[in-house]
Amino acid sequence: MTPLSHSSSDRGFVRLLFSQAWTVLRKDLLLEWRGFSRFLSVLFFGLVTLALFAFAGDADTEQLRGGASGYLVLALFLSSTLALSESFRLENEEQGIEGLLLLPVDTTAFYYGKAIGNTLFLFLLGPVLTPVALVFYAVEFDFLLYLQILGLWVLTAAGLTAPGTLYAAMTSRLRSQDVLLPLLLFPLVIPILIASVKAIDVLLTGDFTGKLLGELLALLIVFDLVYWSICGILFHYVIEEA
Amino acid sequence: MIKSDAPAIKAAGLGRRFGRYWALAHVDLELPAGRSLLLAGANGSGKTTFLRIVAGLHRPTRGTLQIFGRDAREEREACRQQLTLVSHSAYLYARLTALESLRTWARLLGQPSRDADLMPLLEEVGLGNHHDQAVGGFSAGMRKRLTLLRARLEEPRMVLLDEPFAALDVPGQKLVKDWVQRFRDDGISVVLASHQLQQAAELCDDAVVLHKGQIAWRGGAEKVVGAFEAVTTDLGGTDLGGEEVA
Repeated sequence: MTPLSHSSSDRGFVRLLFSQAWTVLRKDLLLEWRGFSRFLSVLFFGLVTLALFAFAGDADTEQLRGGASGYLVLALFLSSTLALSESFRLENEEQGIEGLLLLPVDTTAFYYGKAIGNTLFLFLLGPVLTPVALVFYAVEFDFLLYLQILGLWVLTAAGLTAPGTLYAAMTSRLRSQDVLLPLLLFPLVIPILIASVKAIDVLLTGDFTGKLLGELLALLIVFDLVYWSICGILFHYVIEEA
Repeated sequence: MIKSDAPAIKAAGLGRRFGRYWALAHVDLELPAGRSLLLAGANGSGKTTFLRIVAGLHRPTRGTLQIFGRDAREEREACRQQLTLVSHSAYLYARLTALESLRTWARLLGQPSRDADLMPLLEEVGLGNHHDQAVGGFSAGMRKRLTLLRARLEEPRMVLLDEPFAALDVPGQKLVKDWVQRFRDDGISVVLASHQLQQAAELCDDAVVLHKGQIAWRGGAEKVVGAFEAVTTDLGGTDLGGEEVA
């Protein structure tokens, strides 16, 4: 079943798609839970990245505070490549993709199951990385600010994982995946990076004048929707050719 | 649309190349629906490549292939939905238990997935007492038993089995035989590649011997043992009662 061959009005198909995506997601969550060390290693990598930015800032409080939003989002971006490539490494080791191709499972459902799982994985880094970043970069901690940043973190993680899951699948059988994945992914998600950094910066500085925050949020949401739609369609072809 | 009277497999000039090496050189083959076929041949003769092309995991480099009347190149997924492959790979996640693996497949296939539905299946293949063990700790034979359950859950019209007896103990081999027989009784087409010709021949109607990616002999499965020996020892001219292919 190619994704394009279905009518959107086909409720049975949509129900099956949701059911299969949920099954893939549940399987991934179970595997993550049993291999919790993977999450911990990615989290630790994110923390180390934040610390390195702090050291590079040479204890200049103003400079650190000014770059806090960028450092935080970059820590997420760098951690994401580890998390994404790992999620497909497991599929390859277990020949899971080939196994799923042999089942009458819609590849679109497989994509959304994997992509939602990856988004959850990256989102869960936020509650830890955000307060650490606020402390490292001398930003006054405020619980409302924390929640607002986590809200933005969801949109940023979603914008990263939609194309990230597609590219991770594309490169999963290549030995040079660790190099290729960021090379392919990062140029594509520059709009997400810019919008996210600027939006978090608005929150950190508390400068809500004008419509800037609303526009940045709208930009993130639009890019998320575009990536999640297009990548869901393309995934079928990527998997078949791989 | 699937044609009910169409052959399960209709291959013409089918070939697959990996780099410069033709793993499958040229195969013309027709398997009527409901029949069972034994693929014999030495290592590297093209058996697994043929099965993987039919399963839709490899695209043919040349030739045409129809599965139940549908073009395998144009309607790849529709063809794939008609069949299942039990191969060397078990397609199992090491950290999931046997029951969780089965439950995942059942849900993906839209089949009943409660423990009460799945436990009898595990007991049938002798894994009832191992249902809560991680598959990573299973022996190759136990993995194969679990993979057979997956084939059954799929309710296919054709089953492809690549070395189904490998890694199985005697009760396991009997289990495979019983299952293949059940598939045949249900009118499901079976293609079985095996080196254990005596056992496999008992389960099949027809047989072909592959040699260097081509069909070197075809005939009734009961004559395959002699045919295989003749082909592999360059005695292709012996009258085996089947059709010799130049």
